[in-house]
Parts: sequence; C-alpha cells; structure tokens
Amino acid sequence: MVWQAELDELRQREALAREMGGADKVKRQHDGGRLTVRERVQALVDPGSFHETGAIAGKARYDAANRLEEFTPSNCVFGRATIDGRPVVVTGDDFTVRGGSADATIREKPLMAERLANEFQLPLLRIIEGSGGGGSVKTIDTTGRANLPNGVGGGGLFHYATLNLSVVPVVGLGLGSVAGLGAARLAASHYSVMTKSSAMFVAGPPVVSRLGQDLSKQELGGWEIQCRAGGVDHAVDTEEEAFACARRFLSYLPSSVHGVPPVLPGTDDPERREEALMAAVPRDRRRVYQMRPIIEKVVDQGSFFEMGRMFGRSVITGLARLDGHPVAVLASDPFFYGGSWTADACQKVVRFVDLAETFHLPVVYLMDCPGFMIGLEAERAATIRHGVRAMAAVNQTTVPWCTVVIRNAFGVAGAVHQPAGRLSLRYAWLSARWGSLPLEGGIEAAYRAEIEAAEDPVAKLAEIEDRLNQLRSPFRTAETFWVEEIIDPRDTRRLLCDFARLAEPLRRPQPSRLQMRP
Amino acid sequence: MADIPVPVEITAAVWKIEVEVGARVAAGDVLLILESMKMEIPVEAPRDGTIRSILAAEGDQVEEGQVVVVLEA
Repeated sequence: MVWQAELDELRQREALAREMGGADKVKRQHDGGRLTVRERVQALVDPGSFHETGAIAGKARYDAANRLEEFTPSNCVFGRATIDGRPVVVTGDDFTVRGGSADATIREKPLMAERLANEFQLPLLRIIEGSGGGGSVKTIDTTGRANLPNGVGGGGLFHYATLNLSVVPVVGLGLGSVAGLGAARLAASHYSVMTKSSAMFVAGPPVVSRLGQDLSKQELGGWEIQCRAGGVDHAVDTEEEAFACARRFLSYLPSSVHGVPPVLPGTDDPERREEALMAAVPRDRRRVYQMRPIIEKVVDQGSFFEMGRMFGRSVITGLARLDGHPVAVLASDPFFYGGSWTADACQKVVRFVDLAETFHLPVVYLMDCPGFMIGLEAERAATIRHGVRAMAAVNQTTVPWCTVVIRNAFGVAGAVHQPAGRLSLRYAWLSARWGSLPLEGGIEAAYRAEIEAAEDPVAKLAEIEDRLNQLRSPFRTAETFWVEEIIDPRDTRRLLCDFARLAEPLRRPQPSRLQMRP
Repeated sequence: MADIPVPVEITAAVWKIEVEVGARVAAGDVLLILESMKMEIPVEAPRDGTIRSILAAEGDQVEEGQVVVVLEA
C-alpha cells in the first residue's frame, strides 16, 4: 500500500479525537449524568448517519523528532447526518475539553456548521453545553490580549445565528450548564429544549455572586425559571427525551424555507366527530374549561406537539397535523386570565406566527379571548404595545389561516383573530360570544347616566344586562352576516381537515418577506 | 409525610375557598376559586392529601407563584 503510513496516521489522529478531553473528563461527564458530545450526536440522529467534518482539528504537541506527542481535539464537534432520513447539520460543544469555551473551539468549526446549514439549506441542531464556544477570562491570558466582541472578522457566528432563523429550522438543546455565548446560541433558535438538571444564564453563579446574589445554578437559571420566562421552550427529564423532542419538532417542518412542510398520509379519519365537543364549553360563562383536550380531539390523534407551555400561558402554541398536513395551532387557555392576552402571551404569539410564516405552515386558531389583560400590572408591562405588535405579526402573515371562535372574542385582542386585509376561513361555535368589550363593567361605563338616574341602580343594571344579553346572541350576528358561519362543534375536525387540504397548494416554497427574529 | 405547597398560577383575587384545614382531598379536587377577568379559575389539589394550612382568605389579592394552600401528603 503506497499510502499506508499516512492512512495509519489519519486513523490514529481520529482515534485521539474520539478520546475527547480524556478518560477523567469523560468519566466526570458521565458521573454528572450527562452524555459526551459524541454520544449525544449518535443518540440524536439516525443510527450510523453522522458524517463528521474536521474531527482531527485541535491542538497538538510534537516531540523533538516532530512526532505527535499529545493531541487535544477542538471542543466543537460538527457534521451532517440524517433525522428520519432527511439530511441535517449537527454541531455540539464538547464540555470535556476546556468546558466548551473558546480556548479550544477553533472558531471556524461552529461557523462552518452554521454556513453548511445555510448554504445547503439543511435544518441545524445545536447541542449546547458550557459557554458554547464563547470566551473565558482565561482567553485573555492564552491569547495575550482582550478581544472586542464582534470585532474585526469576528461577527460570523452572530451573522449566521440571525440569518439562519430566516432560512432553516434551528433547534437548540441545552444539556448542562449553558452560559454567555452558549445561552445566546440556545435562545436564538426556533425551538429550544433543556434537561431539568441543566441551567442557562447570561452569567453563572460566580459572576452573579459579585452582585450580591448568592444563588445555585438551578436557582439562577434552572428550567422552571427559563421556561416560565420564555428563555427556553421546553424542559424534559432526560437527554434522550430532548433528542426525541428535537426530532419531532423537525418532522413538521420543511428542511428550509425553500420547501414546504412534509404532508404525510392521513392516519386518522378526517370525518371523525367527537361527541364530547358538544359539552366542552360550560354554559355558565364564568366557568373555565380545558382547551388542550379540545385541540387533541380536532387534530390527528397524537399529533399535537406543544411548544412553550410554561410561558405566556393564556395562549397555547404548537404544531399538529390535520389529515396528515402539518399546521401551526394557536389556542387560548381560559385557565390563565380567562385566555386574555398578557404582554408575555403577545410575545409568544409574535414568535409563533413568525415561525408559521417562515416555514409556510397554515395557522389554525382556536380562539377564546376576552381581550388584552387589563389592570395596573398589565399597563406597566406595556401590554398594548406588545398587543399591537402581535396584531402586526398576525396581519403580516401570508399563510392560509382558519379561526374557530370557541367562546369569547372581545376588544382589540378579539379583533386579532385573523389577519386583517385578506380573506381567511372562520367558524364560530354555538358557545361563541363577542363584542367591543365584555358586558360586565362595560355596561357601567356606557350607561352610567341612566343607571345613576334610576331609582334602583342595581335593578337598572340587571335590566340593561339582560336586554343586551339577548341581543348579543351569535344568531343575530349571523343574521346580518357579521359572522359567516356558526357550526356544530362536532364538525370542527372535518372543517379543519378541509381547510388543511385547501391550504396545501397555497403554500409557497419561498423565503418569507419577513426576517425572523428569535 | 411531606408538605406540598400549592402555589397559584396567576395573579388574581381569591373568590371562594372550598376546603377547610384538616379536610382530605384527592388530586384534582378544587381547593379554592380565583377570580380573574370575570372568570372563575379553580386551583386544584396536585395530589391526594390533607389540608394542613390555608394561607389566603376570600377577597385577598394573590400573586402568581404565591403559595395559598399547604397539603400534607
């Protein structure tokens, strides 16, 4: 063999790379209940599909005779692979080498992963642990100078972290302690998931303690904090579950904005009628009900994949299928502020409809919204500005849209139930009620003089309320064609499946006019 | 026996308290009802147990995350 010696050296170097940070560091990783980056990549993608790029890049030391004496691989492991048979790009931080920090990353590796995803139009999965290739204070020592963030030639990663959101699906997996640039790379994604033993923060406990905040990693950036704050979308118990979430998220999406979401053969009867839907909404308008079982009953069985459950909880967002067609499902949760849109809920709506618009997902909105959240706290949170931002996001969509008014539709937030200025499909359940503002409180404002002048103001109020209640029957609205259709709730699935089929040829495999932001 | 704190998920007024200290409850039983945006929002027992203490009164304003009931389970 002419080149046997070189081949042997290549294999030797590859073997050294597979040792990562060495047996001690690998053991420490395992003792902490965490997989190594290489184990993670294997468990995330289709078995045997990972093709690594730049495995033998790292730092080497040679002896006097120029023989390789010691080798430490870069702590960025990346390459291409397949998930459900579809090509993807995976990049992961190796925490066993310098805690995943920039000292050992080789800047071009994570950058090439981002570029590969971008230019080959492939979904990108980032496995983040540590500082995600960010600098440490030690970097000043090792390089002998301080770097200006995003300095000369240093903005590539930030450029692609932004650009890729408008081009390919980006999934972030936070597995371990994630800080600084790592936190940024995790959050700058369409869908992020962390394990419950992980933590994410801009800066970790030692830095924060200088502010006088003495907190553990979990207290500072544990899953409950990050998921409630909307910093991370979802938390799971094990790394395997995180991988399953990532794979499932991608299954609803095209590989890039240049394709449309993959339609699967239907597995559930599109004509299925669920009797329980007739009793899903209580007659007593003060009583709340569970929205998620309604979603489950109208979409293909088992197809609902919720995202961001703990944030902005008065709205529910997730992906699902209707007769095999992927759709974005927006719904209200009356258990949280009666389903009213808080500032957080509005932020959630913006990000979600932007996702739908970017990846050509038709939107289904199961609506029960009594309006924007009201009160002093809501004003302090600038609910109305976040609200009109959500309105703008909805109005800027071009994807097919179908709304089912389940119960309430009031006020400006009530108006934001379909994109203004273009036609979409709309149905109202028998339980639907609407108006500029709810009667309760609204009557006192509008009829103040009349009520105050009455001999018995309480009776007068009740009389007016009773009269208006009769007038606001949805049938009177339909009679004047102020709403197109009132439906039997049991027909909802059939009509939504019909919508999904109608929407299929309208999906345009082209980049959105909008540039998505995280 | 462990104490299980039951926090409320939203900032709201306590409208009605449905249990008394010492009562046995099953997971899913309504402990109290909040009022928010003119809707009645039940707070349910996260698991079976006995009511050890009730930390709010009807009419109180409670904050998201505030513990209103402690269960012993």
